[in-house]
Amino acid sequence: MAARLQDRPAQAANRLGRRPRQNFETWSWFFMRVSGLILIFLALAHFSITHIVNDVTKTNTAFVSHRWNNPLWRVFDWALLALGLMHGVNGLRLITDDYVRAPAKRAATKAVLYGATFTLFAYGTLTIITYRSYH
Amino acid sequence: MSRQGAAPSKAPGPYARSSVYKGRSGQWAFVMHRITGFLVFFFLLLHIVDVSLINVHGGQTYNEVHRLYGNILLRLFEVGLLFGLVYHSLNGLRIVMIDFFPGAVKNQRNLTSVVLGLTVLATVIGGVIIVKPFFTGS
Repeated sequence: MAARLQDRPAQAANRLGRRPRQNFETWSWFFMRVSGLILIFLALAHFSITHIVNDVTKTNTAFVSHRWNNPLWRVFDWALLALGLMHGVNGLRLITDDYVRAPAKRAATKAVLYGATFTLFAYGTLTIITYRSYH
Repeated sequence: MSRQGAAPSKAPGPYARSSVYKGRSGQWAFVMHRITGFLVFFFLLLHIVDVSLINVHGGQTYNEVHRLYGNILLRLFEVGLLFGLVYHSLNGLRIVMIDFFPGAVKNQRNLTSVVLGLTVLATVIGGVIIVKPFFTGS
């Protein structure tokens, strides 16, 4: 019995009334729940503003200029950018682990995924910060 | 007679012989969650690039590229995006409920139906609003 419990440290810890160890995947799971709940609000609000309340053809430079004159909208859009990318990249990391089994292919897939995500995160952040109104 | 050898004949249910997991609505909800998440992520990557054009040539390129979004094909693409967003949002909410509330686990099949129903409803209503200006002129 004792030997079997040692084979399953998480269960052994539970029986002793302790929480299982928190590893990276635990926090990944928790992050997906929290960021997902925030993103429901951010993404659906953003989509409603740019496609439902306003027609998409109205979202020209004047529209963006008007919105981004208010720094709070820049914060909103940057939060959507950052959380969306982090939530998405973590989701694709899990998908990669499920379907790309060969170690070399898996490493290559993740390198492209992380590289593209980081590049576009930096690019998007730069776009939001450096934008100056022409109107 | 080993215990392992006897196990397959004991397995109940119509799917016992299959080596592929065939869940019911929950499995399809999982598959759709992955597909919609994957597609929305790639739209986000595209969207970062098209918005970044606002800082090029005083926003001229942005306006030119953005006019394309009024095209009927891209409007239908936007309806698809709405479907993906709403489905992923509502199914994500269902997953969070299942993780944290035991009552949601018991009703997970009903919850999947509610998620699908609300997604279709939101997509149809939103879809009409998105596609209509193409025909009526905006």
